[in-house]
Amino acid sequence: MSDDQAVNPPQGQPAEQESAQGLDFSTVIASTVHDMKNSLGLLMQAYERWSSELPPELSDTAERGMIEYESMRLNGMLVQMLGLYKLGVNQLPMRPNWLEVEDFLQEQLARHDEILRSRHIEGSYEVEEDGLMAFLDTELVGSVVGNVINNSIRYAQSAIHLKAWIEDGQLVIAISDDGRGYPPSMIENQSDYVLGINMSTGSTGLGLYFGQRIAELHQRNGVQGHIDLRNDGPLGGGEFRIYLP
Amino acid sequence: MIDYSKKRFLVVDDFSEFRNSVTGMLRLMAVKHVDAAARGEDAIAMCRNTPYDVILHDYNLGAGKNGQQVLEELHHAGLITPHCIFVMCTAESSQAMVMSALECEPDAYLTKPFNRASLQQRLDKLVERKLALKPILDAQAKRDHKAALAACDQVMETHKRFAPQCLRHKASALHALGKHTELETLLASLISDRPLPWALVMLGNHWLERNELDKAEELFTSAISQFPMLPALFDGLAAVHTARGATDKAQEYVEQGLRISPHSLQRQHDLGTLAKANGDYDKAIRAFRQAVDLGRNSQFHNPDDHLNLASSLNEQAGESAPGPKALLEIRQTLGDLGKTWKDDAQLVARANLVHASALTKTGDQKTADKLVTEASSLMADLPTFFSADVALEVATQLKQLGHADKAESVLATCAEMYGDDRRVMEAITAQTSNPQILNAGVQAQALNREGIRAYQQQQFTQALDLFRQARDLQPRNISFALNTAQSLLRLLLAAPSAELKDECLQCLAQVNTIPASDPRHARYDKLCKTVASL
Repeated sequence: MSDDQAVNPPQGQPAEQESAQGLDFSTVIASTVHDMKNSLGLLMQAYERWSSELPPELSDTAERGMIEYESMRLNGMLVQMLGLYKLGVNQLPMRPNWLEVEDFLQEQLARHDEILRSRHIEGSYEVEEDGLMAFLDTELVGSVVGNVINNSIRYAQSAIHLKAWIEDGQLVIAISDDGRGYPPSMIENQSDYVLGINMSTGSTGLGLYFGQRIAELHQRNGVQGHIDLRNDGPLGGGEFRIYLP
Repeated sequence: MIDYSKKRFLVVDDFSEFRNSVTGMLRLMAVKHVDAAARGEDAIAMCRNTPYDVILHDYNLGAGKNGQQVLEELHHAGLITPHCIFVMCTAESSQAMVMSALECEPDAYLTKPFNRASLQQRLDKLVERKLALKPILDAQAKRDHKAALAACDQVMETHKRFAPQCLRHKASALHALGKHTELETLLASLISDRPLPWALVMLGNHWLERNELDKAEELFTSAISQFPMLPALFDGLAAVHTARGATDKAQEYVEQGLRISPHSLQRQHDLGTLAKANGDYDKAIRAFRQAVDLGRNSQFHNPDDHLNLASSLNEQAGESAPGPKALLEIRQTLGDLGKTWKDDAQLVARANLVHASALTKTGDQKTADKLVTEASSLMADLPTFFSADVALEVATQLKQLGHADKAESVLATCAEMYGDDRRVMEAITAQTSNPQILNAGVQAQALNREGIRAYQQQQFTQALDLFRQARDLQPRNISFALNTAQSLLRLLLAAPSAELKDECLQCLAQVNTIPASDPRHARYDKLCKTVASL
């Protein structure tokens, strides 16, 4: 499963510069991340096989939920890191397509099915208009929404809600939960995170930056996509919105 | 609830852990028939025996073929129907997507790791979609493009949510039917709404086909600024520049496409061909080496890649002899070619000439002469003569090897068969000044031109007479034979005659060696079918 072509070095970089520095560190990180992701995938499969053979009293434990959740989170972070690398070297492929928004939301919830169930969190979705179609890159927007759901699972008490609607000609996908919401400073300074200025909160801040960059790749008639954080969500907790023109 | 109990599944992955885990998930979905394979080659073999309903294929199988290559081979060999669901499983789908050719895409990508709920959700949707599109897919399976076109409009009306898929099938059907204007209108309206990658590529290629090179270039260039990771757009620009004769620029664009997606046999083949034409032998050698490698155990292998690798290695050395390493590679490459295509006399003859050329430079004239003699006796007895381009190349090689007489004889046959093509005649003129070759066709070509004029004026009997005269002078000429056959057919359709039918069949039999690459091959096929149906 490993492949040396998985991560190409940045294009247009002069060869001398590379040899002078010994090696390009971001390429090293990116190809390592790629291998880590493969490794994690195998680890999870082995774990799943092994735990499925255990009797229920041994397998339905808090540790199991923890392992599943954290490995999902780890996977999400690795995907994001590869995405950021590819954005940086202009190698992130964009393949937008028409799709039915309901399918897309179902797919996002299905990916987190076990974790939601083991944590007794109810995942629901709602599309304002029946049969709503949208034009977007499923993989890219899916990885953003997936990471947000993952983050919400950590804070939600009992429910996570996905909702999609059209606002001023843009598709809005909102992910909300019934947790305690985002810290006020984060809401206040969201533009800094989005611009990649403030990364002090680690992965959450990076996640917002990634989300904004993916949203921006979606543009139409000069309008770019963007993200928005707020705390007056329908379930009382935080709400993450991604706007796609 | 969809009933999966009767569906046949194939799971392909190099890790047994993954195969077991997916098989387990499928069992929970009540699937009874699950086969598994570790290698793409095995998957292809299994598809020969079982028509699978669903194939879950890992993209990156380590050694051997990747998932995209397997999918293309399955399509090419007709081992997969339009109804089959092919899901590409990847650790990172962006990598697989970059590799996928727009005319051969999987039905879906599924990012690993995935759980049962995701797998089921995705399969449910795909089964539902294939079911809704069934009338279109049925028509496609029968290659009935007219029926497919009608089905697209019908499905779109009843299932609005599948309109994007229907429109894509509709575009393919319009293309297959040669309905250029409708296709252009459809594609233009699709991309004026949203930059749909497949539609952009298709419209660019449409303009390429119509020889609207400026329009094609403008479209590909602007699409690249939006989708810099879509190699098909670079292929498009390369084709634009090739058509303009700017092979150096074309080479640059193919190289850019290859930087994004290096495992494409066709692209390596294109790069090798362009680099060789540009005299850039280092790059030509590397590209042909890759092409030969990628073609191993593949139905897409192309003997020209072997020949071109060997001749590029030879030409890289210029007037002097290739080094020992290059000589060894030349011998191995041609040996490999001889083994794989041992029954193809054309290829064996061409391989001999390339080898002889390298040996002459090393001073081993004796072996070289022996190879040329062998080649000549093969050529004297070819069941199918070379295409015009190959004949011209072979003539050049023979002349360089000091066999001007043999070169002339190849040129004479080439002139007789293809001499009515001005481009071929120009190339022949560049190689010889022998008036017998250059003027041999003049009279026959004049008769042929008169015949065409008469045919256009619906004077079929007069046309036939003129074509017959042209054909008597140059019986191996493909155009004269086809024109005679077509005029005979005209008369036959008006009044059946066993005698004329016989003559028509003879005309066609005489040129049954027409190379499959010849642009007139489709016309030849059509004439054969029509006569046979009489």
